[in-house]
Amino acid sequence: MSTKVTYTDRPARPRDKKMRLKESGGVSAGLMLLPSIIFLCICSVYPFIWIFRYICYNYNGFKATYTGVRNFTRMWGDAKFWNSVVTTFEYAGLKLIFIIPLALIMAVLLNQKLKGSSLFRGVYFMPTVISSSISGMIFTFIFATGNGVLNGVLTSLGIISPQAPIGWLTDVGVVMAAVTIMSVWGGFGNYMLYFVTGMTSISEDVYESSRIDGANAFQTFFRITLPMLAPVLKVVLMLAITGAFKDYEAIMVLTDGGPGTRTNVMFLYIYKLIFANEAGSQAQIGYGALLSVAAAIIVGGVTIIYNLVARKLDDVV
Amino acid sequence: MAKNESRIVYSPTQKAIRAVLWVVLAFFAFLVIFPVLYIVLGSFKENAELLRGGSNIFPSQWVVKNYTDAWEQANFAVYTKNSILLSLGVMVGSLIVSSMAGYVFSRKTFPGKELIYSIFVMFMFINVGSVSLRPLYELAIQMKMNKSLWAVILFSIGGGQATYIFLCRGYVNSVPRELDEAARIDGCGFFRIYWNIILPMLKPVMATIAILSFRQGWNEYIMPMVFTMTNPNLRPLTVGVNLLKNAGDGAAAWNIMFAGATIAIIPILIVFCCFSRFFMGGLTAGAVKG
Repeated sequence: MSTKVTYTDRPARPRDKKMRLKESGGVSAGLMLLPSIIFLCICSVYPFIWIFRYICYNYNGFKATYTGVRNFTRMWGDAKFWNSVVTTFEYAGLKLIFIIPLALIMAVLLNQKLKGSSLFRGVYFMPTVISSSISGMIFTFIFATGNGVLNGVLTSLGIISPQAPIGWLTDVGVVMAAVTIMSVWGGFGNYMLYFVTGMTSISEDVYESSRIDGANAFQTFFRITLPMLAPVLKVVLMLAITGAFKDYEAIMVLTDGGPGTRTNVMFLYIYKLIFANEAGSQAQIGYGALLSVAAAIIVGGVTIIYNLVARKLDDVV
Repeated sequence: MAKNESRIVYSPTQKAIRAVLWVVLAFFAFLVIFPVLYIVLGSFKENAELLRGGSNIFPSQWVVKNYTDAWEQANFAVYTKNSILLSLGVMVGSLIVSSMAGYVFSRKTFPGKELIYSIFVMFMFINVGSVSLRPLYELAIQMKMNKSLWAVILFSIGGGQATYIFLCRGYVNSVPRELDEAARIDGCGFFRIYWNIILPMLKPVMATIAILSFRQGWNEYIMPMVFTMTNPNLRPLTVGVNLLKNAGDGAAAWNIMFAGATIAIIPILIVFCCFSRFFMGGLTAGAVKG
C-alpha cells in the first residue's frame, strides 16, 4: 500500500538498492492483501467496535436510547445471567473432566499400532466433521424420553423399567449428563488427534529402553508418555477450555437451555437476548452487548488463570 | 509402520492383552458411530415405527418415501441447493483470499505488517459470541444483501480466514525463495510469481483449506439461521432441518426429520471418507502454526 513512500523515506544505504529490487510489486502486494484486510475490518473489527457503542444503550433493533449505567446495574442484579455463568462453568468442567482423559486414553490405545488403528482413528474423528447443530438434533432423538433409542436399549437390557423411562432432556437431574455426552461425542476426536500426533514424535527408542528396564504399561504411561506429551497437553487443554466455554450451538438445539434454565449457558442466554426468538419478547441488544463483553472477559480470565497455573506447574515439574 | 510391527514379537499374554485392547477400541468405535447409524437407518423407517421407539435400530420395513417427502414437500431440494452454494462459495472465497494474503505475509516486508498480523491473531482469540452477528445482520440489510446468500457467504469467509491465512503463510515460508528470484530474473512480476510459481506449489495446503472451508460452510448454523429468518428459500440444510424440529407438531414428522438430518450429514461424511487425511492434517498443521 504505502510501501513506496517508506522506501524513498529511508536514508540510502548500500543495501537499499538490492532491497528495492526485492521489494518491487508493492501495488500488487497491496491489492492482494486488500481482500483479507477488508474482511478483517468488516467481520472482526467493526462488530467489536459496534458492541462497545451500544453498551450504555437500550436498543431493540429499531430505537436506541441512552440509559447510562443502567445496563451495568442490571447485570449486577441479574440472577439469571449469573446463574448462566455458573451453568457454563459446570458444563465446561464436566466436559473437560471427561473429554481430556478419554481423548488421551484413546490416543494411547491407538498408539499401540493394533490392526485397523487408522480406521479407528478415522471413526473417532468422524463426529467432529458433523455440524454441531445436526449432532444436537441427532441426540434429541436419541435422548427422547418415550421413543428414544437410548431408553429403548436400557429397557431391553433390563436396566430401567419401561414404566419409568429416564427423561434425559426433561429431568433437571440428568439433563447435564445428556449435554455432556453429546459434547464429548462431538469433540473428543479433535483432541485425540492432537495427542496421537504428539505421540508419534516420541521416539520409539525411549519406549524400547523402558521395556528393557521392565516398566509395565502404567509406568510407561505416567513416566514416559505423559511427561513427553506435556507440551501438547498444555496446548490441548488451552484449546479445550476456551472451546468448552464457547459452546452453545449444540446445546441450543438439544435442550434450548432447558428444562427451565438448567442448561442455559451464558452465550446461549446472550443469544436469546440479542435475537429474541421467543414470541413476545423484545431484543435487548444493548444489554446483550454488555453481557457479551462480560462473558468475553470471563473466558479471557479463565484462560489467563489457566496459563498461570500451567506455568507454575512447569516450574515445579 | 508395517516393518516395525513385524519386528516386534509378542508373548502369548501380550497377544491376549492386545486382543482385549482391540475389542475395547472396536466397541468404542461402535459407540461413536452409533448415533450416525441410528439416524441413517432410522431415516428408512416408517414414522409409526419411529414413534414406537424401542432398541431395534434396523427398520422392519425399508421405506424410501421419507426422502421423496422431504425432498418435495419439506423443501429439501432448495435447502440442499443452498447448502451446496454456501459451502462452495465459502470454499472458493477462502482459497482466493487466504492464499493471496498468506503469500504477501510471507514474502513481503512493509510497514505495519506486524501490526496487521497481530490484529488477525488478536481476533482469533477474542470471542464475543453471537452478538457480532447483529451488526453484520444490520449491515447486510443496509447493503440490500439480505435477499441472497451472498452476505452469509462473505461473512463466513471473513470469520474463518485467519486460520487459513496462517496455514498458507506457513506453507509459503517453506517454499524456497530462490524460486521467486529465478522467476523475477525471468521477468515475472509479484503477482505472476504468485500465480505461476507459488500457487501450483501450494496444492497440498490448498486442498486442506478447501476441505476445511467446505465443511465450515456446510456446517454453518447460527449465522444462516439469523440471516434467513424471513427468507425460507435461502435456508441451508442445517437451518431447514432444525426448523422442522421446532415447527411444533411435536413428534409428528420424525421420519422427515431423520431423512433431512441424513441428507445434511451424508455429503460431508462422504467428503470426509475420501479426504480424511486433509481433515486430520489440517487440524494438526493449524495447531502448530496457530
